[in-house]
Amino acid sequence: MSIDELALILVRGLGQGAIYALIGMSFNIVVNSSGILNFANGTLLILAGVLAFVFLPADPSFVTWALIALAIIAFLFVFVLLQGVLTLFPLKSSVEQHSWLITTMAISVIVSACIHLYGGSLAFRVQPLLPPVSVFGLSTPSAYFLLIGLAAFWFVMIGWFYKNTRTGLAMSAVAQDLDAGKAAGIPVKLIQLYAFGISGLVLATTGFVGAPVINISSETGIGYLLSGFTALVIGGLGSNLGAVVGGALVGVLSMFAAYRFGGIYQDTVTMGLLIAVLMFRPEGIFGLAASRKV
Amino acid sequence: MKLTRRILASLLVGGVMGSVMPAFADNAEPIKLGAFVPVTGAGALGEASLVAVELAVKQINESGGMAGRQVQLTVADYQTDPTIGVGEATRLVHQVGIDLAVGPTYSQVTLAVLPLLSAGQIPSINVSGSSTITPAVGPFSFSMLPNAETQARAMVENAIAEFGAKKVAVFSDNGSQAKTAVAEIQKVLEEKGVELTGIQEYNYNSQDLTPQLLALRSGEPDAILLFTSTGDDTANVLLSRAQLNWDVNISGSYGVSLATQALAAGGADLFNNVIALNYAGFTYCKADGKPQRAIDLVEAVREYKPDSASRYPMNFLALFYDSVFILKAAVEGNGGDTSGPAVAQWIEENIQSFDGVNSGLAVGEGSHFLVGLDALAIVKPATIDEYGIQERSGC
Repeated sequence: MSIDELALILVRGLGQGAIYALIGMSFNIVVNSSGILNFANGTLLILAGVLAFVFLPADPSFVTWALIALAIIAFLFVFVLLQGVLTLFPLKSSVEQHSWLITTMAISVIVSACIHLYGGSLAFRVQPLLPPVSVFGLSTPSAYFLLIGLAAFWFVMIGWFYKNTRTGLAMSAVAQDLDAGKAAGIPVKLIQLYAFGISGLVLATTGFVGAPVINISSETGIGYLLSGFTALVIGGLGSNLGAVVGGALVGVLSMFAAYRFGGIYQDTVTMGLLIAVLMFRPEGIFGLAASRKV
Repeated sequence: MKLTRRILASLLVGGVMGSVMPAFADNAEPIKLGAFVPVTGAGALGEASLVAVELAVKQINESGGMAGRQVQLTVADYQTDPTIGVGEATRLVHQVGIDLAVGPTYSQVTLAVLPLLSAGQIPSINVSGSSTITPAVGPFSFSMLPNAETQARAMVENAIAEFGAKKVAVFSDNGSQAKTAVAEIQKVLEEKGVELTGIQEYNYNSQDLTPQLLALRSGEPDAILLFTSTGDDTANVLLSRAQLNWDVNISGSYGVSLATQALAAGGADLFNNVIALNYAGFTYCKADGKPQRAIDLVEAVREYKPDSASRYPMNFLALFYDSVFILKAAVEGNGGDTSGPAVAQWIEENIQSFDGVNSGLAVGEGSHFLVGLDALAIVKPATIDEYGIQERSGC
């Protein structure tokens, strides 16, 4: 393998991996505060891309691009917050009851159907804001670099938020012990709703920034969801460092598998990695082993 | 006595009416047409297929129906899933009681539903290309796609004739039709003495295909034989090729002629050194002028679906549109008989006379694929105009 081929696989693999890492982090935010896995994450990512397609003009200035980005981010924040209301409202305990399995999937199905009604099955193509970057003479979409930067940004921001804000500290407390958090007077439902909203922010920025390299159509959300979830399980459910490392591993490995063995073996190789990791560390690379209640 | 006479008279009148009425009732009954189209699910072409069938049925009903009977359409959304396809076929055959069918598109689904249609002696025209769909599998079913072998041979011959290729690589999706085509390509390459430098596959809807192209590039082929099934996949391959700054020649399948998405994504430059197969009915040479039937169809679709017509691949849409009219011609040619054996026999004997958007159709020896090399042309995909018509290569 030549140096330019290696660079292509690494850069694009890390770029794809950043998408998976960001989906993983949005999973973590919600699962840490409520125990709920939001299976609508893939479709919500696609929804952000569809909104980018609908509202971005053909050749936007940076200001227009930024304003539309803010509007879409705000919309997704409210939308996912409302999804949180629908998901949490019927539950007395999000940890002991599991109707969220269906409600999160239902949101995914409904959003996909709306996207299909709007645009049919064809893919929506969003033009990039920035020109491609040359890496060893090979043209690389700038969106890959922006996604890598975005994953780093959210990794730092979420860590800072947990440590330095009252809401973040409350989320950390709820993540560690939900019942103790309740007893300490933390408004648990409200904190859980904030978690849904913040995960919406992560997905909105990912879908918007990554739109030029994301396959945006009504059917592709599930694929991104599965890849993001696989990356998270490899890295360790609940750990943002795990999401980042797992995403990078899955992204680079699937690119390498496509190059070396063919495109149809991408999923086989990443699933092989998942099985290998789970055999030796069932909690994932950076996951914490669950304590047994006695 | 009077009562007995009345009863007898009533029975007599009832008997006479009973023997006469069914004939009228049969004539008044609509012909039930089932349309297997993936309106939802992982496919890009279901909506266009449905619009084509709806438009054809509307036009037929407005002009007096099929053999004097109105056509009643029932849609089966099989979601590109063979299991759902079988469920839908069961519903259409046993509950709705369809007389005729069009679709499916996906070979896997077609193979799954054909036994049910055959058992019910229901004639159908599918739009699938796998060569495993033989008259033995579907004696009353015909296909409006060129089969994989036909496309494979044409792609190899085009690469040799247009690019002087001596070494080629093969790149395809992982569908059933593509797998058949790749196997056939390998046979034809061996027959022609052309070196095969590599084979790669991709999953439908994969956005970034640079790793596979990079692997193929290392073999230094003179041309790539590209077998795609959708315009989105064609766009993804050509965008990835452009990102590698690799201007390798491409001899493409019919799917590569679905140029709209690629043109929107990257412009005409993406199609440099690219040729593809297309239905002759949607091609032209400047000296001959553009095909009027294709233009008429596109204008009818625009009038029928003004908001969404621009996103339909019109050459593909025409396949479903023509399918309904072929069934109409066959039923009327048989004096209104919709049974599978009668319709199949008419198509086998008379399809050459069909004059639709597509022409040059024929039934080959032991094959029910209606589109042979005579109904295809080599095109420069980027020349696609506002009607979806493309200029032929080598005019």
